[in-house]
Amino acid sequence: MTRQAWLGFGFLAPATLFIVAFFLAPVVMTGFFAFTNMSTATGITGGTYRITEGVISRLAGSEAVPAALIEALGRQQSVVDAAGLTVLAEGDFDAAFVAELEEELGGRTFASQRDLEGAIRDLDNRPRRVRDIKAAAELFERSVLNVDFATETALTEAIRAYAGPVPDAAMSVLTRAAYTGWSMTTDNFSRLFNSPELGTVAVNTVFYIFTTLALFNTGFALVLAITTFYLPGRQASFFRTVWLLPRISPPVLYVLLWKWLAWDTGFLNAILEPLGVAGRNWMFDSEASAWTFVILINGFVGASMGMIILSSAIRAIPQPILYASAVDGAGRLQQIRHIILPHLRWPLLFITSYQTLSLLTSFEYILLSTDGGPGSTTEVWALAAYHTALRNYAGNLQYGYGAAMALVLVAFGIAMSFVYLRLFNFRTLVTRPRIEQ
Amino acid sequence: MIIRPLRTALLAGTALVVATAAHAQDYTITVWAGGSNDNDIYRISAIEMAADILEREMAILGEEISITVDGRYSFASWDDFKQSVTLAAEAGTGPNIVVTSHGDIAPWAQAGIIRPIEDYIDLDSWPVTDIYPNLMEISSFEGVQWGLPQDAESRPFFFWIPHLQAIGYTAEQIEALPAAVEAGEYTLYDVLEDAAAIQEAGLVEPGLGFYPRVSNGPDYWQFYLSFGGEIQDPETGHLVLDTEAMTGFYQFFADAVDAGVTRQAHIGTPWDQWYAEVASGVAGLWHGGTWHYARYTGREGLEDFFGNVQFTLIPAGAEGVGRPNTVTHPLVYLLTSTGDEDTAFIAAELIKIASEPRINSLHAIKSAHLAIAQSQSEIDLYRGDRWAREATERLLPHASAMPNHVRFGEYWDLMWGGLESVWSGQKSAEEAVADLELAVVNALGDDIIVR
Repeated sequence: MTRQAWLGFGFLAPATLFIVAFFLAPVVMTGFFAFTNMSTATGITGGTYRITEGVISRLAGSEAVPAALIEALGRQQSVVDAAGLTVLAEGDFDAAFVAELEEELGGRTFASQRDLEGAIRDLDNRPRRVRDIKAAAELFERSVLNVDFATETALTEAIRAYAGPVPDAAMSVLTRAAYTGWSMTTDNFSRLFNSPELGTVAVNTVFYIFTTLALFNTGFALVLAITTFYLPGRQASFFRTVWLLPRISPPVLYVLLWKWLAWDTGFLNAILEPLGVAGRNWMFDSEASAWTFVILINGFVGASMGMIILSSAIRAIPQPILYASAVDGAGRLQQIRHIILPHLRWPLLFITSYQTLSLLTSFEYILLSTDGGPGSTTEVWALAAYHTALRNYAGNLQYGYGAAMALVLVAFGIAMSFVYLRLFNFRTLVTRPRIEQ
Repeated sequence: MIIRPLRTALLAGTALVVATAAHAQDYTITVWAGGSNDNDIYRISAIEMAADILEREMAILGEEISITVDGRYSFASWDDFKQSVTLAAEAGTGPNIVVTSHGDIAPWAQAGIIRPIEDYIDLDSWPVTDIYPNLMEISSFEGVQWGLPQDAESRPFFFWIPHLQAIGYTAEQIEALPAAVEAGEYTLYDVLEDAAAIQEAGLVEPGLGFYPRVSNGPDYWQFYLSFGGEIQDPETGHLVLDTEAMTGFYQFFADAVDAGVTRQAHIGTPWDQWYAEVASGVAGLWHGGTWHYARYTGREGLEDFFGNVQFTLIPAGAEGVGRPNTVTHPLVYLLTSTGDEDTAFIAAELIKIASEPRINSLHAIKSAHLAIAQSQSEIDLYRGDRWAREATERLLPHASAMPNHVRFGEYWDLMWGGLESVWSGQKSAEEAVADLELAVVNALGDDIIVR
């Protein structure tokens, strides 16, 4: 490779690193998470092995595990045996306490560690602190119920030590039931495609994207670009700046202003009430009013980007063409129809596809304004994925299922990109000028 | 529940601490409390008071320790709080103690986010032995005591007395309302009738006759119970969807909207606006929690609570249908897996001391919650409070708790989504329940029984 090529790589390296770290890695992780049942309960980093009452009740009636074994595993047991006493004597416990414990409790079996702790508490030479009593009692715990094991081997060893030999088949059923972490699964997708509420969310998403896109992000952007093109320079810049304000305002503040406008006690009602219109929260009043606000809030932000790109594209049209058309008697509308619009095909393609993808994935303005309500009327796919993966009133976030929803979004985005390339005949747009051939 | 290979090391560690007792130790205990506002400051202050007591106790035992309590309760919502706790736990930066709903115990226990408090304190000692056994039960999961109850509450139905009088209720009838609700004579459909009458009399604006909670919450399960629903099967421990009760519950809210006594756009109303309205007679009938008393009489400035507000259980669905009820949704102190064993013992001890009747009563009265322990009814501060006394008597004997089940949250989300779709008029109650049935079976499989 030439030195120049290396230089090129060198320049690209920081950007590549960022793309890998902040784009590719998250996409790959989402793809992976989507095929797991990961949730708050399973944790992300993996689980431990624990036989609990829940595990025991799930195993009840299982053919693979003998009933006697299940029953034994479901019992707690502490035995004051020689092995435990030896470890106790080796610890830093008071010799009188060790001797008394051996004499009073030696050989006895307790139905729970709590019972043993109670018996230790009654000894004359008991340790003073609860913590030390617990430490002593723990040395005699012989059952595995509710004990956390870091590895499968640790659990199987403990079960064998406690319950004697266990057939391999039964052991594998046991360890699988006892595992608290996540596992690979395709259930998320079958759940997704069978879910009645996601159908509504999908319809909402398509409606939201195409309405906002048609009315604002391309439609209104085009109107702004063309009207400001025909305005004198200073006025044009003023209007463009005004339309940029929604984009440069912090989203939280921007949405708060809309909320003040719409609330029961807000600006809109202050004006409408004297006219006899009953006060209401316009943002949540009906499906139609919620959508109106969601589309306006997003559209005002989205329109500015199209406006800037289309404005500069119009400016790039060689002026002589416009002069010539004027000489030929073309009016403004004819100029727009026959000169400006044909020149905007490429930027329009760009804006439409870029904004489709952007509307598909961005949900912050909806989250801040209606949060998908009223009901789930304005819940779009990206917001639903966020709600599933990162919101749960009962503290159990569904990472895996949420990731599956996000993955569907990625697939849909890629599919839409291809549709646009086809629709706008991308190949002819990027054909090399004949002069270079 | 300590990972076994660590146990031996722990034992050695304990002995070491004893051996070096003369050396002063610094501990910083972080406490995060969800769903709290300024009235709930004792959720954190109680831990600070406990720290002072523990330092003194340890000093007497010859161990100098210094405990700094770092408390935080400024979370925008329950959702935000739970998101913060779970994500912080994944990142290993979570607090040492959380004050949260008992419903979180199941998923967080499986996840290893929390440690069982029974490994760190003596459950057979005071004040634990003084705590109501049903609250202890609610703070446990699968036979393991994970936390200690932080407070108790229940969720009453409220009536604005002047409006009831204006539509023809006599003082005796208002007085007898709690008994009528308890006997199942006054039902949710009577609520709609009275709400409509209050609106027709021009006492409140349209849509404010019956003014429910403005966001998702345990309260809504009460209406499912009102129509005879059951959330968890006591025998198998599986969740239960009773389609008939769920339909009754959804239909009730659809009827409330149809009758014009509840606004279709009600969900999402700002909380501050809602509190101000219910505490000033702008609304007619509503439901809330025992802790609302503190807000109405405090920040909202309602001077004569008992003269203006009657409270009862949540009425039964209709005559002969379901039962009057109230849900208690106690918060619990949980010990997280953050920090070393040594710190966990300190944190557990602080939770235990903070649960002493006298300290807990400060929270109960300041925030209008109910007592967690029997002897609190003998403490003057608690006994002298009319609200605590009456609410305990009228509501608590009928209170039921929600289940501690790992997958209850998923069911809850779907239930709420269904209610919202009915409320906003997207679906009929029957359609929503049919969709809910499909969705819960699809999501939860064998973990739920559909009746």
